[in-house]
Amino acid sequence: MSRDFSTRPRPTARSPLDLTLAAAGVLALGWSSACAHRAWRESSERRARVEEARRDLESARERVVPAAAAPDAAFGRQALLSLEAPPPAVLAALASVMPGDVRLDGLSLEYGAALELQLRVVARDAAAYDLFLSRVEASPLFGGVTPGEENRDGEVRALVRARYEGVR
Amino acid sequence: MALGRPSVLVAFDAGSVAGARVARGLRGRRLQSFARAPLGAGALVPAAHEPNIRRPDEVASALALVARTLAAPGARVQALLPDGLARVALLEADDGAVDPAAYARYRLAGSLPYPARDAVVQAEREGDGLVLAGIASRTVVAQYEDALEAAGLGPASIDLTPLAALGALRSDARSGSATALLVLGDAAYSLALQVGRRLRVVRNRRRDRSADEAVRLAREVERSARLSGVDEPVRVRVVGPGAAGLAREMAAAGRDAEPGWRIDSGVLPVEAAELAWLGGAFA
Repeated sequence: MSRDFSTRPRPTARSPLDLTLAAAGVLALGWSSACAHRAWRESSERRARVEEARRDLESARERVVPAAAAPDAAFGRQALLSLEAPPPAVLAALASVMPGDVRLDGLSLEYGAALELQLRVVARDAAAYDLFLSRVEASPLFGGVTPGEENRDGEVRALVRARYEGVR
Repeated sequence: MALGRPSVLVAFDAGSVAGARVARGLRGRRLQSFARAPLGAGALVPAAHEPNIRRPDEVASALALVARTLAAPGARVQALLPDGLARVALLEADDGAVDPAAYARYRLAGSLPYPARDAVVQAEREGDGLVLAGIASRTVVAQYEDALEAAGLGPASIDLTPLAALGALRSDARSGSATALLVLGDAAYSLALQVGRRLRVVRNRRRDRSADEAVRLAREVERSARLSGVDEPVRVRVVGPGAAGLAREMAAAGRDAEPGWRIDSGVLPVEAAELAWLGGAFA
């Protein structure tokens, strides 16, 4: 397992069997490296010719700039989206799906290729929170609804991500 | 794990400290011994930013009992921390050159209840431009490490039970079919939807063990399937406390649901699927 959340270093211990296997591995690596080096020497001229042809191709590609990747096009989309989906419109859409015992505690809007929302909601209880989620998912104004971290000690405090799709 | 040298797993959750000694030889892994010490309510509370070990003496006693039973001091120890203290997320990372852990820290920093510099992040690429990440508070992890060292079990490698269990469940999932992998903890659960060998959704939620839990979990499975654009029947594989009963309830309601794994051993006093942390040792 390469995954490790530990916050402090550990000494690396090795058993005799591990060391023996590691030594055998090193010997095998050395022999295979020698064989690989000989093969590399024989093919080096062919690789150089291929590399030269690749450089010529990359140089030609760099002279072509796709319109969709141009920075101006992305900025234009963001600007248009901020006009078509201003924060008051987003808040009104959220109010239309929010039950009476759920409140919005925080909202962040990220205008990019789409308008990504991050909602911090507080619900009186789990049933109210589940109702809110059902309404948001069913609403045509929102998509990609993803419930995130939540705390259910009494009232429910939760993070919900969604995409605003009510663009005019 | 090195060949020939046993490993000891120690798992924390709100209801208990448990552990197992696993030996690995040329014929594969074998469970040698198992131990579990229950904890009273409130002794250990998995949380993202608050101290988890609320009654240190009680947790220390439980840990000492487990360590003694497994003859753990001096062994290679892997500790598994409970669901509910870390964020587990599946992120889209289109840039194949970015470091997965650095990317996950950047993406999740804004939603953490603690400073990003206090986070410990582990992340892996999953293909299709996806990164599976776990992010936990360094302060919270250190509390568990302190408890392990005080019991003579440090330094230990640290993993998260939901990630370890998901890894084990995924290796069993058949290619081509949609499978919901449910990893239950005492305080929280993780749900992953996998189609074939590819993850589509990973979610964390607090666990509500009141009546109709099986119905609510089934609803979450359906919601995850909709999010993933899956419209075929979804198999459910579940592990963790209460897994066997919940799988039976879901099966009785017509779902293809069963415990996530079975381990034949004369050592366990409970079904292996009730121990979400154990499967990773045999995957």
